[in-house]
Amino acid sequence: MTGEVIYEIKNASKRYGSVVALDGASLKIHAGEVVGLVGDNGAGKSTLVKVLSGAHQPDGGQMFLDGKEVRWDSPRQALESGVETLYQDSGLAPHLTVSQNVFLGREITMKGILGWFGFLNKKKMEYDAHRDLEAVGIAVPASNRAVSQLSGGQRQAVAIGRAVAWAKKVIILDEPTNHLGARQAGEVLNIIRNAKAKGLGVIFISHTLPHVLEVTDRIVVLRLGRIVKDAPTSEFNGDTLIGTITGTIQTIKVEGD
Amino acid sequence: MSDSKQATAGIKEQAAWRSKANSLLQNQTVLLAVTLLALGLFFNWGSGGMFLDLGTLGTVLDDWGAYILLAVGMTFVVITGGIDLSVGSTVSLSSVVAGWVMVGPMHADLSITGSAANPYLLLATFICLGVGLLVGAVNAFLINVFKIVPFIATLATMGAAAGMAIIISGGMPLQGPNNFDLGLDWKIGDFQLPISTTVAVVMVITIIAGLFLHKSRFGLYTYALGSNAFATRGAGISPEKQILKVYLLSGGMAGLAGAYAYIRLGAGSPSNGMGMELYAIAATVIGGASLMGGVGRIFAVALGTLVLFVVQSGLLMMQVVEVSPDLKQVIVAILIAAAVAVQTLQNKNGRR
Repeated sequence: MTGEVIYEIKNASKRYGSVVALDGASLKIHAGEVVGLVGDNGAGKSTLVKVLSGAHQPDGGQMFLDGKEVRWDSPRQALESGVETLYQDSGLAPHLTVSQNVFLGREITMKGILGWFGFLNKKKMEYDAHRDLEAVGIAVPASNRAVSQLSGGQRQAVAIGRAVAWAKKVIILDEPTNHLGARQAGEVLNIIRNAKAKGLGVIFISHTLPHVLEVTDRIVVLRLGRIVKDAPTSEFNGDTLIGTITGTIQTIKVEGD
Repeated sequence: MSDSKQATAGIKEQAAWRSKANSLLQNQTVLLAVTLLALGLFFNWGSGGMFLDLGTLGTVLDDWGAYILLAVGMTFVVITGGIDLSVGSTVSLSSVVAGWVMVGPMHADLSITGSAANPYLLLATFICLGVGLLVGAVNAFLINVFKIVPFIATLATMGAAAGMAIIISGGMPLQGPNNFDLGLDWKIGDFQLPISTTVAVVMVITIIAGLFLHKSRFGLYTYALGSNAFATRGAGISPEKQILKVYLLSGGMAGLAGAYAYIRLGAGSPSNGMGMELYAIAATVIGGASLMGGVGRIFAVALGTLVLFVVQSGLLMMQVVEVSPDLKQVIVAILIAAAVAVQTLQNKNGRR
């Protein structure tokens, strides 16, 4: 069901001063696979996300995208190579319209001299934004509406839809179901399934373990900067997952140290 | 039965009308236009019918031209969530530098007048623009590299520019070549239009700036930065680059306002721009731009600037009650407070 390894991080470490935030983490993501990344606060999830998305550079270790070694100097580089990240609560620019948000950083300009001056093709962006969001399973209100006029669930849907629509290879979703009601969270999980069907590698970070168990193919558990468990979702249930996260269930890797 | 039906229809109609009126009042442009009309009629009554006159409008537009360039630059800055306090001092400094170049290295003095002065004035304009861009670059440098908040960074350059203007000029106006015809209102036969060459140029610049703000990528990034800097960076846009561009724009506009002052006076004076930054900020806020960032429209700011100077000129012409010119500042302060209060009320009604 899942394809080739599309994104890989090998033995990555990162420290902030004397704090070891990430300690030799290795992780593979396949095309068409949803990987859940879980761990307690301070386990290193955010650091791992930042390294994967190009926001931070690891102190040591290697990264491979499509089998080729990569190194991100900026999030822009990662974006352009096909790794799309939705940060926790970064969301959207509320004063801009839906289509302006969808196309932010990748605007469609007019043809000719107006385009050279950076004048935007508003009509085309509105049409395309609507089409692209619909394609990933989001029923969006008019794409010329300001995001501030949307409900929290609609905003999150637009944010995720934007990321899924643009992602070429990998999409990293940091707490995408936070602050959402049950129905809206369900819609977000559906979008994740759509992204998977598109053949994207999806990294899903969440504290809401039922969502993780529901939508992922594989779960990776971080504790104190280390990956302590990496196993198919079918091997977990709610209790064993919590046990692994908190450390009450011993994992082989930890014993081995 | 039919009575009650009619009544319901009437209520519905009324409700529809009210929501329409509400959404019109939500529109800053409409609100400002109505305010302008009301002010015009009021001052016309107060001045004994002298206010609504093309000559008065010409005077108002001359003042408007001096400030709108600053207000336009300020609008871009304010939309990013910043502020530029240095624009007034930049007007002084740039006009003084232009004056200094004229009387110093160029050995050109006020005996050069009329169209013979035009090449000099063009050069002066470019000098002013250059000085403005330089101040803008310093502002962006302080904000981007030293991470100083815009208020403090531009407060520092405000002081520095004002001081340098006094040092360079020796505290006196530097009189150079002049062509006062450029500031005279156009005439078609005996008919006097309220627009001069300088005001016309300023209008064109304002329109172009408005097109860039509302239709171009540069404008979009300006809004995006003020709306959510984090999301903007996440979209692969460099906030630092955008800040540089926006403060360059604001500085450049202030430089052009310095050229406007120089051309009107035929001199670069260290007092040319004194206190102008406050009026520019006032005009921007009256025009509906939010100091929190993300909100503002050029056309509304142009109208807001007009409101400011209609009030100023109107007060001077009042005959029904005498108004002391010293009261001007108080009235402007009240205007700003009223504008912000209206914004707050609009936001309260506008959001769910």
